Amino acid sequence: MMGLEEYNESPMIAPPRHVCAPRQNQLLAALPDAEWNRWQADLQLVDLRQGQVLSESGTVPVYAYFPTTAIVSLLYLTQEGASTEIAVVGNDGVVGFSLFMGGNATPSQAVVQHAGQAYRVRARAVKNEVNRAGPMLAILLRYTQLMMTQMAQTAACNRYHSINQQLCRRLLLGLDRLPVGELVMTQELLARLLGVRRESVTVAALKLQQAGVIRYRRGRIHVLDRQRLEQCTCECYTPARKEYNAPPSLRPALLAA
Amino acid sequence: MTDSRDAKNNHLLAALPDAEWQRWLPQLERVEMPLGEVLYEADKTLEHVYFPTSAIVSLLYVMENGASAEIAVVGNEGLVGISLFMGGESTPSRAVVQSAGQGFRLEAQTMKDEFGRAGPVMHLLLRYTQALITQMAQTAVCNRHHSLDQQLCRWLLLSLDRLQGSELVMTQELIANMLGVRREGVTEGALKLQEAGLIRYARGRISVLDRPGLERRTCECYAVVKKEYDRLLPVKLAT
Repeated sequence: MMGLEEYNESPMIAPPRHVCAPRQNQLLAALPDAEWNRWQADLQLVDLRQGQVLSESGTVPVYAYFPTTAIVSLLYLTQEGASTEIAVVGNDGVVGFSLFMGGNATPSQAVVQHAGQAYRVRARAVKNEVNRAGPMLAILLRYTQLMMTQMAQTAACNRYHSINQQLCRRLLLGLDRLPVGELVMTQELLARLLGVRRESVTVAALKLQQAGVIRYRRGRIHVLDRQRLEQCTCECYTPARKEYNAPPSLRPALLAA
Repeated sequence: MTDSRDAKNNHLLAALPDAEWQRWLPQLERVEMPLGEVLYEADKTLEHVYFPTSAIVSLLYVMENGASAEIAVVGNEGLVGISLFMGGESTPSRAVVQSAGQGFRLEAQTMKDEFGRAGPVMHLLLRYTQALITQMAQTAVCNRHHSLDQQLCRWLLLSLDRLQGSELVMTQELIANMLGVRREGVTEGALKLQEAGLIRYARGRISVLDRPGLERRTCECYAVVKKEYDRLLPVKLAT
């Protein structure tokens, strides 16, 4: 299930590309079969490029996205244009919580931070799931709770921990959501995500490089020693779930029928 | 028997459709919420969900060394214990009464059952949770970008919005714990606000004298959160 599939349905039109199956996304993978069969038809594969804005602050998202290989940042921008990343969403989650929470828009912006693929589904289909109140909603809500934990940790971390620790945490959050040990991230981008000056990131990254933890070249960060990275970070890092346990349904009685 | 008028001081309870309200009323238990009381600890299973009517509760993220940082404030606009319906059962935060008062509580199972009906209650609680998410996210931003003075103003305003009067019973120690900063920083910040005539601080009581002044002095974070709360709550619920 976790393997890459060769996409060769129309090789004459487009060059073959590697496509991850939708259920590489752990929320989709956690759906019971009957639900999955119903959902499958609504899913649309999309390639997301770095920097692409999936939803703007204050606007209603058109789609919810289930990343398979892409990573998306939820960013807050201050009036002065400073930014802070409040959560990272990869194949462990979904972008577009405001659609099922009911508020539609959010003050945050969803920006692709690592190019890759995702499956998207129309807002309408997501909203229907709320009324259905079945396993999909339960899964979405459970994930949202995990995302809130990540936000709380970001808030605490921003208060208490050094930029070095925060950088390690951020690298680990990215790493957990990638199939490989290499992050494509300029120091500029890292500074924007952490909400600190670029110079601070440069200093912190250099330290990690000198310690043999990462190798940093031309906007690519290669993690050489993950264990050390985990030692260098603070307690605010929680590993992304490798397996997503489907929560008990909201309405087990109805589902059993 | 619960005095229904009291319970309706909580905006979520007040927004319940009639049928829900009638069903909930006998189950709601009135509780005193004294300053400093811990409603739940991090990683512990929740036994109740709390609807404050006059108390204010802080959700604190507690670090391994015991240091804490407030990630959100809940008063009569909301409820404490969202993880009961979000599905996590427990949360990494601790809920502590930050301003003494009263509230009502429901048993965990009742809350789950009510949410599971997938009716107006579910929609109401989800919208509230989204507002709470905004507050948490904004706290993360504020912790990063804004001065302690601005944060102190934000914090006073968030509390003030959840109080009946304009006086907070609060030590600087407590504020420092909430904001996750040194007490000296709070003392200095509070002194500045007092000198500017915005607050009066005496013997653990903070009286807000000039609310618009506080609003001018705080960062944008307060307004962003306020706007989202106003937009998302309370909800006119269809029955």
